[in-house]
Amino acid sequence: MNQARSAVLNRWLALTGAVVLLTIMLLVPGVVKMVVVAFLLAYIFDPIVTAIELRGLSRTASTLVFFGFVGCILWTLFTLLTPVVYNQIQAMRSGAGSRQTSLVILKLQGIVRAKLAFVGLGEVNLAEKIGQLSGYLSDSILDFVVHEGVTIVLYAVTIPFLVFFFLKDGRDMKKAFISIIPNRYFEFALDLLYKMDVQLGNYLRSQFTDAVVFGVLATIALWLLDVKYFMFIGVFAGMANLIPYVGPIAGALPAVAVALFDAGDVTKAIQIVIAFIVLKLTDDMLVQPLLVAKGVHLHPLLVLLAIIIGGELFGMLGMLLAVPATGFVKVVLQESVVTLKKYRFTD
Amino acid sequence: MGVLSFFGLQKGEGKKVRFRDTLRSIPIFSELGRRELAAVERILHKREYQAGEVIFRQDEPGLGMYIIESGRVSIRSDDAVDKMTELGDGEFFGELPLLDGGSRSATAIAKTQCRIFGFFQPDLFGLIERDPRLGVKIVLSLAAIIGMRLRAANERVQSLLQEHAAVHAAAAGKRRAASRN
Repeated sequence: MNQARSAVLNRWLALTGAVVLLTIMLLVPGVVKMVVVAFLLAYIFDPIVTAIELRGLSRTASTLVFFGFVGCILWTLFTLLTPVVYNQIQAMRSGAGSRQTSLVILKLQGIVRAKLAFVGLGEVNLAEKIGQLSGYLSDSILDFVVHEGVTIVLYAVTIPFLVFFFLKDGRDMKKAFISIIPNRYFEFALDLLYKMDVQLGNYLRSQFTDAVVFGVLATIALWLLDVKYFMFIGVFAGMANLIPYVGPIAGALPAVAVALFDAGDVTKAIQIVIAFIVLKLTDDMLVQPLLVAKGVHLHPLLVLLAIIIGGELFGMLGMLLAVPATGFVKVVLQESVVTLKKYRFTD
Repeated sequence: MGVLSFFGLQKGEGKKVRFRDTLRSIPIFSELGRRELAAVERILHKREYQAGEVIFRQDEPGLGMYIIESGRVSIRSDDAVDKMTELGDGEFFGELPLLDGGSRSATAIAKTQCRIFGFFQPDLFGLIERDPRLGVKIVLSLAAIIGMRLRAANERVQSLLQEHAAVHAAAAGKRRAASRN
């Protein structure tokens, strides 16, 4: 078989493979989520593996060292957090709030009955309602853990597995992808891919670093304010901070809820709100200008639309990934237009 | 290294050895060891071209150089009527953008069916980051080759200037002789 025919055959095979893969991904939506999350994580952690590689290790060994390190951290966190989460769920299920909690609820009930009697809330039993809600919430969490257990385990196993191979073989995968591009567009595609790599890498890493910094700062603030489960809530706040506008509020809510319904301390709840406002201002004025790449500026309206669409399609995960995904599309379009102008494809 | 590859029995091992020999015959990679050549090989992009197919065009952005494994490539300038040069197996072209990332100074066209390897600037930068010693070796070799070509170009300019001066002097002599007559 001559070279030309074998090149065309390879191209068709690769294309067919890609179509089959895409069809499977579309038929099984969970696969899309896993691949997207794994791809983004691999993208974020790639420089760390490359830095390990610089010490003279092979790519496989570097990836293994990185996974060993992350594994140790995750195991430590898991060991530390599991009893905390379990106790929290148990406490919520028993519905036994502290004395202060009951006092706060009674105080709130008094205010609601006095001020909102005209809308028919004169005889409301807030303690019972909160008890019902709390029980419902804990049952929902347990239901979620029990019913989604298999999916959670599947995700917990598959995503690291995919991340490992994306990190280890990412360069070869990129090379294989480039090899199917026709000769005339090959240098253009390569140029575009390299530029996107730089822009997108900076953007994703800066977002991730910002989330980590916000999470650490929130954890320290909550620890200083002596909030229960400060570590758990801090991590959640860091992750929620990835969602613009809604994220910081969603991050502060669990801490306020713990302060109000667990400790029954209104002053502490106000302190937490103030702490989160200060944190968000620090993040907006100091951390983000230093970290977040200036190249990918997204219009607030576009960000909100992306979050709504992401949420509708993939739930919480979709909301988390909406902004990076929109940033990705913007970088692709921006770089395509700039690079395309330099090549004479019409000749 | 696996047992099979140690004894050279792994599938395609002979082909790999041949290609590394081709790589070593290229001045840029001539000083590299076995492991270093393997690292270079990993970042090369293999392409196949049909006779008459354009590899790159003059004035388009350039990303790096190409190494011919097999086949013949003709290099032409849009300004010149004739081809500038023709290259064959083991030869390389388009190396300037590898250093300056500038646009192509000529058009490269495959004259016969060609198997070519592309070596590009972002990959070279990545290699320098991962293995600075190897990166410096390649960049120094590249600089030496470009220096050599610059020296040759200078000598050519000098000889052209001398030729031009000689022609000019001869013409002036003829004019003087004509005016005396």
